[in-house]
Amino acid sequence: MMWSWIPSNWSLIWQLTWENTKLGVLPALYGLVISLPLGVLAARWRWVYPPVLTVVNILYAVPSLALFIALIPAFGLTDTTVIIALTVFSLCVILPNVVAGLRAVPAAVTQAATAMGYGPLRRLATVELPLAVPVILAGLRIGVVASISLASVGQLIGVSSLGYLFIDGLQRSFPTEIYVGLFLVIVLALVCDLILVAVKRALTPWAPRPERQPRRQQRRQQLTGAAS
Amino acid sequence: MFYADTPGGGLITFEAVTKRYPDGTVAVDGLDLEVPAGKTVVLVGPSGCGKTTSLRMINRLVEPTQGTILLDGTDIKERNPAHLRRGIGYVIQQTGLFPHRTVEDNIATVPVLNGWPRKKARARAGELMTLVGLDPALAERYPHQLSGGQQQRVGVARALAADPPVLLMDEPFSAVDPVVRASLQDLLMSLQAELRKTIVLVTHDIEEAIKVGDLVALFRPHGKIAQLAPPEQLLAAPADDYVAGFVGFDRGIRRLSFVSTAELTLDTGAVLPADATVAQALAAGRPWICVTEAQRPRGWVDVATIAALPGGTALGQVRAEPIGHPFTVGTDSLRAALDAAVLSPAGQAVAVDDDGLVLGVATFDQLRAAIQAADGNHDTRQVQHAQEGPPSL
Repeated sequence: MMWSWIPSNWSLIWQLTWENTKLGVLPALYGLVISLPLGVLAARWRWVYPPVLTVVNILYAVPSLALFIALIPAFGLTDTTVIIALTVFSLCVILPNVVAGLRAVPAAVTQAATAMGYGPLRRLATVELPLAVPVILAGLRIGVVASISLASVGQLIGVSSLGYLFIDGLQRSFPTEIYVGLFLVIVLALVCDLILVAVKRALTPWAPRPERQPRRQQRRQQLTGAAS
Repeated sequence: MFYADTPGGGLITFEAVTKRYPDGTVAVDGLDLEVPAGKTVVLVGPSGCGKTTSLRMINRLVEPTQGTILLDGTDIKERNPAHLRRGIGYVIQQTGLFPHRTVEDNIATVPVLNGWPRKKARARAGELMTLVGLDPALAERYPHQLSGGQQQRVGVARALAADPPVLLMDEPFSAVDPVVRASLQDLLMSLQAELRKTIVLVTHDIEEAIKVGDLVALFRPHGKIAQLAPPEQLLAAPADDYVAGFVGFDRGIRRLSFVSTAELTLDTGAVLPADATVAQALAAGRPWICVTEAQRPRGWVDVATIAALPGGTALGQVRAEPIGHPFTVGTDSLRAALDAAVLSPAGQAVAVDDDGLVLGVATFDQLRAAIQAADGNHDTRQVQHAQEGPPSL
């Protein structure tokens, strides 16, 4: 391990980390944007889901490098190629969660919403999707983490990411570079994951989480008799 | 209160309504039923008898295959379903509360759908929490933080929030324990006494039907009504063996719940104050004397056991048997009076007024006379119902 390598390559490291962040986060977001309407359709019309799921699973089985190569004729050796391929992969993990999240909304809740005079769209937007948020975000977390690590593979077709440090380190037999790359990929994945956990907390203050309650809040609830 | 001027309306009419599912199952078969405005009609029957399907056709969660349902004379098919439903409260067994909304926002749902500003809707939610007996401190809780009974109170408050003339309740109290269920039934009855909604309530529990219903529609399997009658008539005169079997074997006793004790003849000669003497007790010529203290019941004295005592002994100094429980004349039913007599060592019930002061005692003979009189009156009461124009079958 050669610690001095890090400060002298600071701008390269920073540049690669930023590229990798983009290649990790954007595909997951695009995947979410595509999964939401598809998931809504699949949850509403059950016959839609099996064929969609089959296609999605076949795509997911394609090795990432193979998919990059397949896209090169159309999009060249560009970010776009990598982002499209990673979007397909995150779609594969997010879509089933959108469908599962919508299907997990209790039938009594949707029935009550209808009986109170919600139209289908309003019910979807204000009752069903909010209730599916925990499951959808669980899918998004997997999608983001998977994209961040898969982005390294994009380096093989020349799209820069932290993968550069692996390949360069290997070619130059310089382990420091590999360790730094590995460390940063893990940290990046962890940070993004923690941000999404925070987002989930913010979006679902209603979700029961008895074990994760901060002590202070528990004590306050006990004092006011709320815990009972 | 703010409900006092609740507009009337809420008359629901089923005209030859049939629901047949694609697989050929007939859930409801040619149902004719009129639910009078401001009354509670209970649909009761075994599972699969079409009672829930009938209920859900009223707010168009289920569409009939044939027939018409009118709400205040208008065919509900003519109405926009969402708008129709905002005028019909809906309470279900699983509560169907929105887990992601606080108690007050759950209750404010329909006012918000109707375009009320959130602040006004929440203020309205606060009023309803008080109305259904919920602590306003619970307003910002989420449903999962409440007990089952509290959740169902929120469910009832939510259904009432927009002050709809009609309330549909599908097994509303079936998921809670018997004590909570009884308190929710009492809540419903006291609300109904004030609000006069048209309530259609579905249950499989005949006791619940008899307790809360103005009219009970007892369904046979596959969606036909076996009998539609006020609860006391259902108990007194079941239309056939099916109804009698469903209502239960002790219906004769339970029917007495609907007979008032106001007309009961009381024996005042068997009541003596504590400072009366043994001689007075012997002179009364009754086997048992109800001894009172400051006009409140103190106990029963068996006259045979005091005959040997000196005539001047005060009754207050004689050993007395506990009276069990008295019944309140006019408030308690004949069933409570009969129970009081059965449990009393004297075989007689002590009658008190609303303040707990003794009015007299009722013997089995007097109770029997009252029961027979009630049977005699029964026909006239049926006639009254007929004149009011109850739903016909």
